[in-house]
Amino acid sequence: MDARTIALDDSHGDVRIVVVRGEHDIYTAPALRDRLDEALGTGASATPPAGVVVDLSAATFLDSSILGALLEARRQALEAGIGYVVCLGGQPEPGVERILEITGLVPVFPVVRSLDEALGAARSAPADAA
Amino acid sequence: MSDAPVVRLELPARPEGVGVVRQALVGVADGLALDGAVLADAKMAVTEACTNAVVHAYDDEAGRLDVEMFADDHALTVVVRDKGSGIQPRANRTGTTALGLGLPLIAALSDTFEVRGGPGIGTEVRMSFTYERETDPVEDNPITGGPGPTGRWELDEDAVGGADGTA
Repeated sequence: MDARTIALDDSHGDVRIVVVRGEHDIYTAPALRDRLDEALGTGASATPPAGVVVDLSAATFLDSSILGALLEARRQALEAGIGYVVCLGGQPEPGVERILEITGLVPVFPVVRSLDEALGAARSAPADAA
Repeated sequence: MSDAPVVRLELPARPEGVGVVRQALVGVADGLALDGAVLADAKMAVTEACTNAVVHAYDDEAGRLDVEMFADDHALTVVVRDKGSGIQPRANRTGTTALGLGLPLIAALSDTFEVRGGPGIGTEVRMSFTYERETDPVEDNPITGGPGPTGRWELDEDAVGGADGTA
């Protein structure tokens, strides 16, 4: 069975990466929400970053609870003027790609294919308030 | 369809049970001629049905989540039941607003589905997945709309198909 982990990578300067690996659903959605809050710097003493990237390239399953957490973080990022990008990687799990595509969320987040592209996009401009 | 289920699970309706149901589904699919893309869709649809039961079906009491899986010559049928108060949208017990995308995803990813029940009698979601598809069910029941300002999904009302009946 895949390891279900959610980690915060702050080794990329002013962009924080939330790395999601394995299967995630309603059971791990609260942990993802906590990690996203931490990345966005919504805590009392935290410093907000220029951007946040959610890296799903090693995710093997996501449900609508996870999409809800990702959308809530996107809303908070937009309000705070923080860039927000979802990275799917070059070879995403078909089920993960499918839920993003059939819900029409690829342009909404937005979703990009490489971490370099994600870092650049998250750093250059806050996402459009669509 | 054979009368006896291949698998019958009765679990506490708690978040950690949803992954257990998914693992059982993968195990059942292993012995069937289920296409990989169909299995991925089945995992998603069954997860959403179980999540609905966990989030909406019970107020504060611990309830049960019943799942049965049946296999015949061309399709896998999964039935998810709870004894809760129905699946009308409301804030869930974790205090966060549910996205409200569960039923649209079930409709989009299953070849047929049916929802029965109501307040006091619980809810039954019955979904079937054809082993080898000729068409993608998403084409018949596409997911419309997008995230609304309140955090809930807002469907395009004139484009909703089959959300409370057989897909």
